[in-house]
Amino acid sequence: MLGTAILCLAAAAHAAWIPVKAELAQWLIERSWSEVLAGRPAPPPWPWADTRPAAVLEAPALGVRQFVLEGASGRNLAFGPVFGNGTADGRDLIISGHRDTHFRFLESLAKGDRLSIRRESGVGEFEVVDAAVVDSRQVGMLVDPDIDRVRLVTCWPFDSPSTGGPMRYVITALPRGGATRSGG
Amino acid sequence: MPRNPSIRDRLESEAWNHFPETARRIADRGQRHRQRRALCWEDRILLIVSALLMVALILRVETVHAEEDAFWGIEFSMGEQSLQSVALDTEISAEITGLVARIDVTQRFHNTGSDWAEAVYRFPLPEGAAVDRLRVEAGGRILVGEIREREEAQQEYAKALAEGKVASLVEQQRANQFQTKLANIAAGETIRVSISFLARVEFRDGVFALQIPMTFTPRWMPREGGTGRPHHLVNAEMSNGHFLEMDILLRPGMELSQLESRYHDIDIQPEPDGFRLFLADPDTRSDRVFELNWSPDYGATPESTLMSWDGGDAQYALLLLVPPLAEAIEPQAREVVFVIDTSGSMEGASIEQARLALAQGLTNLGPDDRFNLVEFNSDTRALFDESLPAMPWQLEKAVDFISGLDANGGTNMAPALQLAMALPEQTGLLRQVVFITDGSVGNERELLVQIGEQLGDSRLFTVSIGSAPNDWFMRKAAEVGRGSHTRVGQLDEVAERMAALWTRIENPAVQDICVDWGMDAEFYPEVVPDLYAGEPLWLYARLPREPRDVTVCGELEGRYWETRARLLPGTGGESIATLWARSKVEALEDGRMFGADADLVREQVVDLALAFGLLTRYTSLIAVDRTPVRAASEQIETRDVPNLLPAGSEFVAGFTQTATGWKTQLALSLVSLLVVLAMLLHTPPSDSRARPKTPARAEPAPSTGR
Repeated sequence: MLGTAILCLAAAAHAAWIPVKAELAQWLIERSWSEVLAGRPAPPPWPWADTRPAAVLEAPALGVRQFVLEGASGRNLAFGPVFGNGTADGRDLIISGHRDTHFRFLESLAKGDRLSIRRESGVGEFEVVDAAVVDSRQVGMLVDPDIDRVRLVTCWPFDSPSTGGPMRYVITALPRGGATRSGG
Repeated sequence: MPRNPSIRDRLESEAWNHFPETARRIADRGQRHRQRRALCWEDRILLIVSALLMVALILRVETVHAEEDAFWGIEFSMGEQSLQSVALDTEISAEITGLVARIDVTQRFHNTGSDWAEAVYRFPLPEGAAVDRLRVEAGGRILVGEIREREEAQQEYAKALAEGKVASLVEQQRANQFQTKLANIAAGETIRVSISFLARVEFRDGVFALQIPMTFTPRWMPREGGTGRPHHLVNAEMSNGHFLEMDILLRPGMELSQLESRYHDIDIQPEPDGFRLFLADPDTRSDRVFELNWSPDYGATPESTLMSWDGGDAQYALLLLVPPLAEAIEPQAREVVFVIDTSGSMEGASIEQARLALAQGLTNLGPDDRFNLVEFNSDTRALFDESLPAMPWQLEKAVDFISGLDANGGTNMAPALQLAMALPEQTGLLRQVVFITDGSVGNERELLVQIGEQLGDSRLFTVSIGSAPNDWFMRKAAEVGRGSHTRVGQLDEVAERMAALWTRIENPAVQDICVDWGMDAEFYPEVVPDLYAGEPLWLYARLPREPRDVTVCGELEGRYWETRARLLPGTGGESIATLWARSKVEALEDGRMFGADADLVREQVVDLALAFGLLTRYTSLIAVDRTPVRAASEQIETRDVPNLLPAGSEFVAGFTQTATGWKTQLALSLVSLLVVLAMLLHTPPSDSRARPKTPARAEPAPSTGR
């Protein structure tokens, strides 16, 4: 009986550790990012990390400032939002985050809200134009290499007690002053 | 990517359903007077509930863990409605005569929407295909395409689109990727677009093969640049179009011992001079490579062959150069470095094939050989700092290494290639790098230049894995790397194909090959590659007059080697001239890759393409109807027609699992804790007094039926 109690405590501690880890990681990543700002290649935020910060995502209206990581793996998602195709390169960006840690704030984003994304190559200013709930079993996201766009993706519904559901919440933001399209 | 959500959800909801009841009982406990017997019963329920909660909890922790390790891809797939609006089927008819195939690919675009549509479809064609014809059937009219310079064709197409005319434009986007655009498809209308091309028949290890790729592996582009990536992939099951029909006429020109289709079931009908082949399953989708194999009858070992065709102003010739038989040659010790791609695109069937291919490669090593393993995705990792002898204990380490390989992350190929080619030298041993990947990269040219620069004395053997590898890149990499290219399409052919690769690695190749045509000849490839065991070479030449025979010399194991090919009169056709032009275009483009002036290359390619009617990077096929079908006032919509995902690939939806579920886990843990604590507090100090008071009652013996 006592053993069971200890197990329960351990599981509770493990659960409580998830949001703490999510916060702590962002703080460690901050140090790594300062190297990028200084023009040096970003070192791994902690010695065994298999990722590095590739961008800073800001939603000024909500006071959100987060580091977006390279490498689209579940492990990296625990530490911060990640770039959907693993890299911050390209123009049509997809950023995914957990709905109950970093990307909780997507719920509060509204049309017209501003987002900024700072990458090594510069800062992009975006405006939220659409928020949609989609069924990931039915649709995928078309990546168009010729347009500038950011999509923020997280699981939906936000307060569902279970994980692994098929629904996703997708925020689409376009460059402020309208989308630009080039090439064919 | 939900993993067994049904089981987990059920357990969870059960736990949650039990919770209010349990909590109420705990609260009521102190106030109610109950018999001890009832309490025992209640304890049992509590125990069951808490056990249930624990199971749910453990399952939850396990599941979260599993999801963290699971791969998830992004991009690809279709727009939400495009699929329903423009369905697409493919018909392929081919005529294979000897060493050349003429293939017609007909795509049916059907607009099921209620508006005018413009369809865009990107598709792959076989390696080295010479595209030269376009035919469009719309509303009972037939339009025939013409070759134009790319920009001119684009302008013409844009004009036709605006004027409401039916038009089709076929462009080359990458080496083996093409795009068809189709303007002004009326609502409910079906338009057929036929593209026709020549492809050469492969001949390796005594087997002839024709491959027709059907879909693309999504490509990874490590850096900015390049346009027109094939990102429109859907799962075969989700698509209502993409049916495939085939009609192939095979005239092998010899008796056959075997004829088979590797990945599709086919029906075979004998014909007077060959066979006619159809797909057996009418529901076949265009989601995997089609490959036809046939072998000459036993005893009929093909020899080096020369064919020619009189083009009026010049003769065009095709020389098939067959390597010497491997039996006479003594194998030598070597250093083999296996490089394996473990990036995200290898997830699924591909990584399994790769693991097996690696394991197969290791079994071929002899005790005098040295070897090493390099794994790469976003990062690169080598098993040993330098290659070590293939001793049992080292091989054991290698097997451990292989079984630990998982597909995840990006495809950062350059550092892995560099590492493999720059390992410390092993004196007296030829370094052979075996490179196993699906080749899903976007920066092919940079990589090829890198291979050329860093190769040194090494040889690069490429093994393409998966149902839709980037063969062009893999073949070019082997060409630049002076090795050979092997293709593995399915798990059950790994052993056979790796064994074939091993004969090339093991047996010395004929090097420094020279060809004497008996006159001035312009032939391609200009630098003849090494001639490996089991892998003949194709040379295309333009000559002032008909050749009689051709002498080929080279060096085999340090000794002079020579062979001669005689002309088979009357065997060649016009296709030889087209294929010669196609190989010259390829040679010119390769020159650009290694620094030739881009404008000059372009000019030469355009001249050649216009003269021979070839679709190239700089010339497109365009067909425009004369009369408009759509009034200028009506709107037109553009739709991307998605490609199918390669079969066996796990890029299903392109969304990640983005919830940790920590709140649920915390709540569950605390509830469980509460239940356990309640039980701890409630359990009477001792049962010894209580139990005897319970009236002893003889229970009937349990029936054996339960």
